[in-house]
Amino acid sequence: MDEKTGTSRDQGDVAKTIPTGRRTDEWSECLVLIANKQDRAAYTRLFRHFAPLIKAFALSGSALSATHADELVQEVMLKIWQKAGGFNPEKAAASTWVYTIARNCRTDMFRRLNKFDTPLAAEDFSPDQEHEEPFMQLQSRRSADRIREMMKNLPADQTQIIAKVYMEGKSHAEAASELDLPLGTVKSRVRLAVQKMQAQFEVSQESR
Amino acid sequence: MNQEYRVEDKVMAKHHPELDILTEHAAGSLSLAQTACVAAHLNYCHCCSQTVSRLQAVGAAMFESLDPEPVGDALLDRVLARLDEEAPLSYQPARRSGQDATPALLSRLMAGDFSDLVWKKVTDALRITPIRTGDPQFEFSLLHIKAGGEIPPHDHRGSEMTLVLQGGFSDDRGSYHPGDFIYRSANDVHAPRAFADEDCLCLAVIDAPLRFTGWKYRWMNPFLRLQAG
Repeated sequence: MDEKTGTSRDQGDVAKTIPTGRRTDEWSECLVLIANKQDRAAYTRLFRHFAPLIKAFALSGSALSATHADELVQEVMLKIWQKAGGFNPEKAAASTWVYTIARNCRTDMFRRLNKFDTPLAAEDFSPDQEHEEPFMQLQSRRSADRIREMMKNLPADQTQIIAKVYMEGKSHAEAASELDLPLGTVKSRVRLAVQKMQAQFEVSQESR
Repeated sequence: MNQEYRVEDKVMAKHHPELDILTEHAAGSLSLAQTACVAAHLNYCHCCSQTVSRLQAVGAAMFESLDPEPVGDALLDRVLARLDEEAPLSYQPARRSGQDATPALLSRLMAGDFSDLVWKKVTDALRITPIRTGDPQFEFSLLHIKAGGEIPPHDHRGSEMTLVLQGGFSDDRGSYHPGDFIYRSANDVHAPRAFADEDCLCLAVIDAPLRFTGWKYRWMNPFLRLQAG
């Protein structure tokens, strides 16, 4: 599915070829088409790209069964269709927007499966996109590529732990007990990894 | 209500959650009550909100790097068939009025104002009201400390997150104003005292009842129960 070209990128300061070669903005364009024209072709393209990622996210750490994973894919994809009007390409990268919806839906599904009786949905905890600053977010579209690059160079012990925290939704304490590591070690590995990746934002802001 | 700590004025809180708490929040791996407390802090703190969006972008990068799991066309067809009944919603995000510094999330949980709550007296200076969040592990409650009042020295058998909503208090490590976030781990003894000129209202999230350490109040410990849920 990935075109290995990377030639469509014209951002001079990101000289590195991004191996996946995806034009990050293709997905933002799809979301805008869905919002403005209810464009099903764009939706189908988006589905083919993101549904397999959402399914992988659902199955991370065998958090959910295959049936629930498919259910989550449907739920997230329908939310994307409904909420596309709230997506603002000036302020967020499409992948971050989709990831956030997937994360919220998965949290809600966990809570439903564990019979939580709560008046809140996970999306109630996200600050409104309107509060985001365009400047930072514009950078983040390029930063996303840098972060992906960066991630490949992280030491394996750091990658393992941030995958547990982010993709499996484990708390630091749960990650510590699963990996049989002291909590302090888990915290410092997460912090090291996250600081390195976060630093990519500062780099891209300076290079403006 | 303190004018200078309005969200709109972008005056920063001075005490913030550590990076690891923000990371867990961004990753969706904090418990419900704790994540609600962090979200309430973000309401006051532009700086932490920015950090959280960056941390979410980190999550998105990991998400995009996952090995895709094949999804059959049958699922795509099922979703496409449902699009008609789920028409895209078009709306402008609701603007917060700006008149009220109470985090919207908290207002929803309280379903009313602070005065509508049932406050339970713990000591002369301290009143508590637990708020239902549905979190089976953590108690999410509001604390009211009378101006100048002190909470007797206590520790916690678990962790404690505190967010100042109105007024403020100080302890041996500093003084805290609206929007300030304080995290204490188990066995951290402290004795917060509210500022002399104003009652203090805080949000506290704990996973074990507090435990008074002074002889004068120790008798109360067996009566202090966690009210999670």
